[in-house]
Amino acid sequence: MSQVSILYAAAVLVVWMTARVSSSRPFRLWIYLAASWIFYFSLDARFLPLLVLSSVFNYHYGRRIRRRPRVALLWAGALVNVALLGVFKYLPAFQALFPDSPFWQHVRQIALPLGLSFWTFQALSYLFDQYRGDETRPSLGEFCLYMGFAPTVMSGPICRVGDLVPQFRAPFAGSWESVREGAQGVWVGVGMITLARMLAAGHGGFGVADAFALRGPLGTADAWVMLLGYGFQIYFDFAGYSRLVIGVARMFGFQLPENFDRPYLSTSVTSFWQRWHMSLSFWIRDYVFLPLAMSRREVWWRHVSLVISMAVFGLWHSASWLFLLWGVYQGLMLVGHRLWQQLRRGAAPIGPRWLRSAASWLLTFLVIILSWTLFRAEGASHAAGILTAALIPAAGLQLPGGFVLLVLGLVAGYFASQLAVSRIPQRAPGLLSWLPMPARFACYAAIFYLAVFRAAEAQGFIYAQF
Amino acid sequence: MDHSASHASMIEYLKTEILRDPDAEIEPHTPLVSSGLIDSFSLIQVVQELEKITALRIPASKVAPRDLDTVSQMFATAARVGMPR
Repeated sequence: MSQVSILYAAAVLVVWMTARVSSSRPFRLWIYLAASWIFYFSLDARFLPLLVLSSVFNYHYGRRIRRRPRVALLWAGALVNVALLGVFKYLPAFQALFPDSPFWQHVRQIALPLGLSFWTFQALSYLFDQYRGDETRPSLGEFCLYMGFAPTVMSGPICRVGDLVPQFRAPFAGSWESVREGAQGVWVGVGMITLARMLAAGHGGFGVADAFALRGPLGTADAWVMLLGYGFQIYFDFAGYSRLVIGVARMFGFQLPENFDRPYLSTSVTSFWQRWHMSLSFWIRDYVFLPLAMSRREVWWRHVSLVISMAVFGLWHSASWLFLLWGVYQGLMLVGHRLWQQLRRGAAPIGPRWLRSAASWLLTFLVIILSWTLFRAEGASHAAGILTAALIPAAGLQLPGGFVLLVLGLVAGYFASQLAVSRIPQRAPGLLSWLPMPARFACYAAIFYLAVFRAAEAQGFIYAQF
Repeated sequence: MDHSASHASMIEYLKTEILRDPDAEIEPHTPLVSSGLIDSFSLIQVVQELEKITALRIPASKVAPRDLDTVSQMFATAARVGMPR
């Protein structure tokens, strides 16, 4: 049951109606929990017991940490969660080191439980927060719902117990107004996912994956178009998915943390990382960067901590050298921005303000788009080939013209729509909210048509694999 | 240092060393982290200043950015988790 299917929409409606008519808070909590577990079961029946086991273990362990806040106890609990990630997510990657070993052949077959990285990070934040003395004291049912909450269990946003549990305890906040707001988020999300699928499906059967499967010498234009295509595919896919689940939760009156805030409009790498996958970015800030950076007083250590934190960010995706390099690259870019700020402090500005903003935006955009090479490439030599083509001017274009036009058209359309939205003041946020009602209705109808009738061509969410 | 003098000292530090804007308007309850005025990098400097003003050691594992969002919260957090040096 995918989150864009008609069946899912029907299930949401049934649960909403049940929650609406129920005046009992515990009953509503159990309805949400049952619906969430059924949803998870429908996605991946094999691993529901693991999710339940992790929830029960972490709930009791967190209570223990709260009673006896000892650092050894905290690290032991964290280690159990990291070991869980290790077994399912990282161990299979080591098979490449022992290609002939029958044991490692078996290890390679271990499947990744859906959303493991997301709900394990929620469990870890709960343990850390209990150690810090967080006042939130969830019941077992509330904690299980926090871990397996249907909208977020698959791919986030990564929530905190202190944000979600008080909302579980509040009276039912689903109103027609929240349904309207939520539905708008869902439509925008479905629209963005549809754009991601257009890039995946491509033109004439040639999509982003086909572009990355090209071998042989690439031209500079090839490299940048495929990187742009992937950069926008992953953005539309994950930001659209996040919009969708935040919208679904909003229909029930829940306020989930935002995960994206128009990151490709950032004018610095620092700003980009405050606007891209925000729930993971803030998690890394709170539980990796700050404790690490505060452990020594020297400024250079803060820079090292930043690079280490971004390396962890990269490895969160998968145990691969390329993800590690991607994280280190982002860390170095962040440090570079910090040093540049220090260098420029007190210096007279160069050129007019609009030119400085435009130059900062372009540089940030290129630095980020280039980084998708490490994120998407299928190996070191593949990544090196793309980077060489992108950075050393080379003539020629292997990509089909239709695909190039599709990518450039979508990118140009995205920036034009953002420019249009920014010029219309005092409107509700959202890609379509600035349009008059008939035009908005036509867009919603088109999105619905594309979402339902092109669903068969759909690929899975990119972030579901993490 | 008394309560209001501590707050004033921290506000002065924030204006001159972090924001580098002596005219910035900061009150004890002004959101600093959640509003984006202070980023995570500068937060480390702020904690070090907080340790200096309060003469307490603030364990890294005991604080989160949301505990340091305002000047008032900073001193409340220091009182809650700070340990004598």
